[in-house]
Amino acid sequence: MVTLDDSQGEPDWRRRRFLVATTSVVGAAAVAAVAGVMVDSLEPTAADAAAASTTVNLAPIEAGMQLTVPWQKKPVVIVNRTPAMLATLKETADKGLLRDPNCDVPQQPPYCKNEYRARKPEWLVMIRICNHLCCIPHYRPKKASVTPWWLGGFHCPCHGSMYDLSGRVIKGSPAPHNMAVPEYDFAKDGKTVTITKMYPKAHLC
Amino acid sequence: MATFGDWLNKRFPLRELMREHLTEYFAPKNFNFLYYTGSLLLLMIVLQFVTGFLLMAHYVPTSQDAFASVQGIMYDVRWGWLIRYMHVDGVSLIFVLLYLHIGRGMLYGSYRKPRELLWIIGYTIYILMMGEAFLGYVLPFGNLSYWAGMVITSIIHSVPFVGPALSTLARGGAGIGTATLERFLALHAVLWFWILAAAIFIHILALHQVGSNNPDGIEIKDTKGADGHPLDGIPFHPYYTVKDIFGVGVWLTIFAAIIFYAPTMHGVFLERTTFSPANPMVSLPDVTPPWYLAPFYAMLRAVPNKMAGIVLMAVAVVLPFFLPWLDRSPVKSSRYRPVYRIMILVMAVTFFTLAWVGEQPPLPKYFLLERAGAAIYVGFYLLLPIISRWEPTRKVPDRVTS
Amino acid sequence: MKIMRKYAIVAVLVAGVAGLSVRANADTLLSLPAGYFNKPAVIAGAKLFARHCSACHSVQSLRFNRLASLGMTKAEIQKDVMLESGANYLQGMQPAMTLAQAKGWFGMPPPDLSHMVRNLGAGFIYNYLQSFYWDPSRPSGWNNHLFPKVAMPNVLQPWSGIVTKQGKVIEPGRVTPAAFHKKVADIVAFLRYASDPSVFTRYKLGGYVLGALIAFSLIAYWLKKEYWKDVHSDSAKHKK
Repeated sequence: MVTLDDSQGEPDWRRRRFLVATTSVVGAAAVAAVAGVMVDSLEPTAADAAAASTTVNLAPIEAGMQLTVPWQKKPVVIVNRTPAMLATLKETADKGLLRDPNCDVPQQPPYCKNEYRARKPEWLVMIRICNHLCCIPHYRPKKASVTPWWLGGFHCPCHGSMYDLSGRVIKGSPAPHNMAVPEYDFAKDGKTVTITKMYPKAHLC
Repeated sequence: MATFGDWLNKRFPLRELMREHLTEYFAPKNFNFLYYTGSLLLLMIVLQFVTGFLLMAHYVPTSQDAFASVQGIMYDVRWGWLIRYMHVDGVSLIFVLLYLHIGRGMLYGSYRKPRELLWIIGYTIYILMMGEAFLGYVLPFGNLSYWAGMVITSIIHSVPFVGPALSTLARGGAGIGTATLERFLALHAVLWFWILAAAIFIHILALHQVGSNNPDGIEIKDTKGADGHPLDGIPFHPYYTVKDIFGVGVWLTIFAAIIFYAPTMHGVFLERTTFSPANPMVSLPDVTPPWYLAPFYAMLRAVPNKMAGIVLMAVAVVLPFFLPWLDRSPVKSSRYRPVYRIMILVMAVTFFTLAWVGEQPPLPKYFLLERAGAAIYVGFYLLLPIISRWEPTRKVPDRVTS
Repeated sequence: MKIMRKYAIVAVLVAGVAGLSVRANADTLLSLPAGYFNKPAVIAGAKLFARHCSACHSVQSLRFNRLASLGMTKAEIQKDVMLESGANYLQGMQPAMTLAQAKGWFGMPPPDLSHMVRNLGAGFIYNYLQSFYWDPSRPSGWNNHLFPKVAMPNVLQPWSGIVTKQGKVIEPGRVTPAAFHKKVADIVAFLRYASDPSVFTRYKLGGYVLGALIAFSLIAYWLKKEYWKDVHSDSAKHKK
């Protein structure tokens, strides 16, 4: 560096170093704050958050039938289960067919940790993605429609994973866990259901 | 660290560049506040680049969704309002700096030998900047964007011979629509922008060849000390780097005050008509350009003949290119040229009066003002060769004053 | 040159006076009360808007949940702004009326009001809403001084009463004029917020940003002063 020699007196180098350091630190903090804001702007927008929830009218789903709707680019199945279908849930569990009958693995929000895996026993709301390798299982509600002992449930066409009518995985399937249940709410009048967000601990495939 | 520095410098001329352009680049020591504008312009262009990238990450260039996507940035994107206001207000502030920068050049004769080329490149940057601003202006597709796009492409249409073909090329169809937005976005963010960036790079290279002028208009290279360095020069680094950092702090304070407390500047930086969507069926109550283009627009309107108006506007834009050869005075800086100093003052007042009148509705009561303004503007350049030859000058000192 | 300079100054003065005279003509208009724009006014305005305007007008850009940033609770927004309509809390404000109904009743759908204040100005909307007069020749029975032959009827009639074009009161409003002004000012405050919802964040954050930048400038000024001691002592030496 070129110094201006024969200037009057030696510059105060300590003061200069201190001021350079202070300016650098404050400047760097400002740049970091702006950079943080800029990266944050690339996060999902409020429009995405609004599109993230889907409201489904339950009226057209007759007893024993299912409706599958797209939600966050994933299929969500809504099943209107009859009392007879609900009775099979206890039966499968009692026969010891299930890998996780009590839903100990958090594949569902806490309020769905029951044999129905649902807020209301008759309504199953579940992400219809097989826990094994992401296929979409077939809905097979009729008894003996897959195997002679079949009580009704879901059967995956890819690698044969089997689930009961609550989406609990049946022993001997390649799938490790029960199918995932998202977070959802019923409207006050019970006529619609709104799927709000993914249950963060749940594992899809 | 020293070893790493050696390793690097064998492969990349970092130390050499630092020496040549910073530590042993000598700048006159008598710069005033107008000399902050260059480094501030560079900073603002970088900010436009960054905010522009972030806006583009959310923008949809279709006539259906462009307006909604820009409003989505304002309402739904986190900090979207901040980024868009930075980009929009940044444009107006860039033009504030450009006018100060150009005005400084005129005031201190920085266009004179040996800086003719520097002036021409710089003025080219200003013209490119107007184009870049216009391209960006159309993108949000408010009603103002639509009609601004219409008016400017019609001006292109009236260019002799190639006009109709050129305007179709600009519009990409019968009117201003998705095709226009797509190509304007591509131009604004890629081709035009990089040409602009290259011009800025060349401008700085040319500056470092001839060195900066100063308010006294004296060549510091003419008086060198025993060590071969100009006596009135100081190394750019550290003296002007620390000074420019201070300038950046003050400037960003002004910028932030505008963004946070007056982001639309009462409709001057972000016009009211940009808040209604483009509508080909409804023309605006009055189509006026942004303030920084308004002086030329006022001259366009001053002549009641389409072709003549466009020619006058084109002449007004082109005239400053010839400034280095129109000025015949032996003295550079207006500090030592009382008559020229008054001319510059009149010119500045005229320019901003034209900007003001260009923003007014097109009413006959403004004709006189528009024509007088146009006459003074053109008159400045036409009279300069004559006046500069006989005008009295004060004695120019040998060394810069502080 | 002197004449030119004089002319330019006169020109600027003339231009200034012309601008002033335009403003003088607008003196008959009502001006918004100072300080009408604050969070409580916006909340009050949002509730009034929901009850009197949202049947026909959308505010597409403003999402219901955005109002929570003003200090409203979700339950309050659902009860007083969404009016228990079952609309999506995360979506923009939609009109109760369908597009087909709008076309049948008004010929064209009423405009979205998201950007209306920034487009037309708060003062215009404040005056427009108070400029309706009784005009039996119009399909709706209403006309407007500021926007002649507007399709919109005077939905604020319970407050404003019925007034003829000449200003004769046919039926007085149910609230005092002062209360009417206040309610309209609140609606305008809400619409201003809707057109610029970052406003309160901006005002608050702006103080911190400016403070930080001023502090930075100050430090940079000391830095510059310290280094420039070299230059000043150097030039002092040369003067000797």
